Amino acid sequence: MVLTMHLYRRLMQRSRVYWLILLASMPGLIFGIAGIDLAPDDLSEAFIGIMLSVGFTYAIAALILTVSTLRDERDAGTLPYLYMRPIPRWSFALSSLLAGIFAAGTIAVGGWVATVLAGLIHGADMAVVIPGAALLLAAAVGYAAIFVPVGYLFSRSVLVGLGYLILVELALSGLVSGLAQLSIWRIAASIYVDLVDTTGLPIDEALGAVAPGIGGGLAKLGVVLVLGLGVLTWALQKRDAL
Amino acid sequence: MNTVEVSELSKWFGPKVAVSEVTIGFGPGVTGLLGPNGAGKTTLMRVIAGLQVPSQGMVSVMGRDPRVDPSIYRSMTLVPEDEAIYEHLTGRQFIELSARLAGIADPKDRAREVLEIVGLTDAADRALGGYSKGMRQRAKVASALVPDPEVLLLDEPLNGADPVQRAQLIRLFKELGAAGRTVIVSSHVLREVERMADRVIAMVDGRLAAVGSVATIRAAMTDKPRQVFVECSNPRALASELIGTSNVLGVQVNDGLLMIEAADAREVAMQLPRLAVAHDISISRVEPADESLESVFRYLVEGR
Repeated sequence: MVLTMHLYRRLMQRSRVYWLILLASMPGLIFGIAGIDLAPDDLSEAFIGIMLSVGFTYAIAALILTVSTLRDERDAGTLPYLYMRPIPRWSFALSSLLAGIFAAGTIAVGGWVATVLAGLIHGADMAVVIPGAALLLAAAVGYAAIFVPVGYLFSRSVLVGLGYLILVELALSGLVSGLAQLSIWRIAASIYVDLVDTTGLPIDEALGAVAPGIGGGLAKLGVVLVLGLGVLTWALQKRDAL
Repeated sequence: MNTVEVSELSKWFGPKVAVSEVTIGFGPGVTGLLGPNGAGKTTLMRVIAGLQVPSQGMVSVMGRDPRVDPSIYRSMTLVPEDEAIYEHLTGRQFIELSARLAGIADPKDRAREVLEIVGLTDAADRALGGYSKGMRQRAKVASALVPDPEVLLLDEPLNGADPVQRAQLIRLFKELGAAGRTVIVSSHVLREVERMADRVIAMVDGRLAAVGSVATIRAAMTDKPRQVFVECSNPRALASELIGTSNVLGVQVNDGLLMIEAADAREVAMQLPRLAVAHDISISRVEPADESLESVFRYLVEGR
């Protein structure tokens, strides 16, 4: 936990965290403004949708933050102070992933709070509040599992991460059903949709081939986490640390 | 008994070869690693430290591969060349973090000990960002001393230190070497390496150029004539007597100083008293001119 807390504190020290929380809060802020003109029936539908759309802006915020978990240490030249310690590589990798998850979780909470506050102001149905939190936390775990190893492996890690978000999350997974299973947003959304009554809403279409379900979503997240842990452990053992 | 073994080690980055087929062992005591910029010293240290993967060959530290077995970091530490440090932490927080990561039972107590060893106790509660270069170096050394390592790798550890700090650090490294620790120090300040190292390893263009004590390396350079400065009452007369002998390859007189180039310096030492007595010349000083580490190193670099 010493390593996790060190990496987490380092990630959270940056002033960019405030900007990233603001980015993650954008859907909530937009809902806060747009909700003024909505009729009560439309308001609840929009609130269900806006909670889901937190995932889009949040993905960018989580990317920018979590790729820095080890990349900042590498770029600053401080990684030897952490790497040259008697810590098994799998444990080092797990600590790094946890730091990324906690950091991504922190900005997720920021985005969630903004959206919930906007919902409260307009008197929206608060039934989606807990599923919304589950959606964001699932996304935090999934994105950290992918972007922490990406940050360690690639010097232009933000570009590589954006490539994943644009190509896999947005473009290809909508076209190729098999790739939808690799989309963190869809996996997280599948948990949310299972917890929320989305009858009559076009949300299921957005999921594509990913079936709604908490169990399946958590299982897929588990697989992503294990893969991320494996890749990062391998990279720490086999790739130059400087 | 070597604690660090490097065998047929090569490391390249794309087309650039940083270290080429180096085989060397390091044992207890202080070893100086010398070389011009780009010679491969830092890369060699990083590969030994396990921070970089060998492209070819292998490294063993106390019988273990650092890439495979991180438990070796209970016995091996590195002071990196980079100035990078956690600027937001205080000196004490930085050392305590190192101690916690190293699994030390009482990190606060150990931090206090090593801060005292490097003379940073008074500055311990100031942020590292406000430290001078020399203080940062000492903080890095303190961090490396935390696990009481058997093998200590020091990459340019004297950079930025003032003369007093340098003297203190050199004394510390010598003490560690004398206590049976394997201390490998890279430095471009040759005089300091000469002061602290029992053995010198010179690297040029990624390869080993020479290994041994400065005197041993110099003695092995049979193709380089020995230079001897002589201060005497009549340098021209002494020069004219010496030039006729087979051992002396050349003489020069500058500002009253006689410089002799000889195949064998010991023979010059025997010739000088005899000639001085025969020609009534008083000799006040005889000094080898090219047996310093600097001269030896210059020969090694120029000779390639």
